[in-house]
Amino acid sequence: MPQGDKWLDQNAGPVVRPYALTGGRTAPSAGEVLDLIAIVGATDLGEREFDAIDLSPEDRTILSLCRRPVTVTDVASGTELPLGVVRVLLADLIARGRIAVVPQLRTGEQPSTDLLKEVLHGLRAL
Amino acid sequence: MAFAPSDRPADPDGPDGLLAAFKIVVAGGFGAGKTTLVGAVSEVRPLRTEETLSSASIGLDDLAGVGDKKTTTVAMDFGRITLSNRLVLYLFGTPGQERFWFMWDELSYGALGAVVLADTRRLDDCFPSVDYFENCQLPFVVAINCFDDAPRYDPEDVRVALDLDVHIPVMLCDARDPGSVKQILITLVEYVLARRPAMEPEPAAAPLLQPSPMPPGRYDLPEPAVPREPGPAMSTGLRLMPYPTPEDGEIADPRPATTWGRPTSS
Repeated sequence: MPQGDKWLDQNAGPVVRPYALTGGRTAPSAGEVLDLIAIVGATDLGEREFDAIDLSPEDRTILSLCRRPVTVTDVASGTELPLGVVRVLLADLIARGRIAVVPQLRTGEQPSTDLLKEVLHGLRAL
Repeated sequence: MAFAPSDRPADPDGPDGLLAAFKIVVAGGFGAGKTTLVGAVSEVRPLRTEETLSSASIGLDDLAGVGDKKTTTVAMDFGRITLSNRLVLYLFGTPGQERFWFMWDELSYGALGAVVLADTRRLDDCFPSVDYFENCQLPFVVAINCFDDAPRYDPEDVRVALDLDVHIPVMLCDARDPGSVKQILITLVEYVLARRPAMEPEPAAAPLLQPSPMPPGRYDLPEPAVPREPGPAMSTGLRLMPYPTPEDGEIADPRPATTWGRPTSS
């Protein structure tokens, strides 16, 4: 319907409901829910098989964003997809070995004092 | 460098090696200047979340014509500050509406700390934020955004008005000024660091996830100085009667006999 196209801009909201991309799943099928600032990166497999047939356009967008380690927040913002959708898609890609969670220096809730001092120095140098 | 092997040969010292991401929550009432503050020190980018509509949004989110709509889009702002080639700091502005408070748990989990932005014209707007961070014991600073047309108050007066502990930093700021916002963030991190010595000293090079063992016996409750004995009968004349057990024979109904409410046989 060529006439109707002009109504389907971003302000009209998505044409397809967001969770249609995940087959209706609002939580990952397996694995833990990724934190907002968990860092993910494409694995060698993910970079090598970028054009694999089992990847959706959204998967490819995510993989291209993850060529260098980025946070889950960055992926969600970069794809303009809702956070919950991105988490499910990322979990699928992790399960398929395309993306891996990059271990961080700070793993618990309490970062080390040295790391905090580094943050402080970074802030002062802004 | 304790870097667990992964499929990806990440080079931690290279320009791409992201090693640690931190987040700071920016809270405050509606229109207190949260987005302005985030935008003063970083590029603000939108983050969309699709959340299940809760009963709290009934009457607030207009659902006319979308009767089967079960989720709503929550748009949040965040800013990203690259501190060094291995440290990135994220600033998350909390969604202001009360019905999105469930997002606060997600934002606060693992956060470095929080900034409560206060507007002296509507100081009570930041009570919920202060309450929230006090409850979840997330270190926070209170920054009073000095709007041009708002009366100026002494930070100590604001501390009293908000009933804040003496150790919580309260400061004046201009959310539009990058230097001012930078000072808030520095104050917050310094405050987080200053709270450190009160905690267990951090073991050097120990695995971060391993909890330090608690010294034995330290947390045991002390023995009561006076051994607890059943006290004498109360002087008020009241006496506790032992509850009758079936062994005592038939338990008589102590209530006065009445036919009220029972079928009468005439």
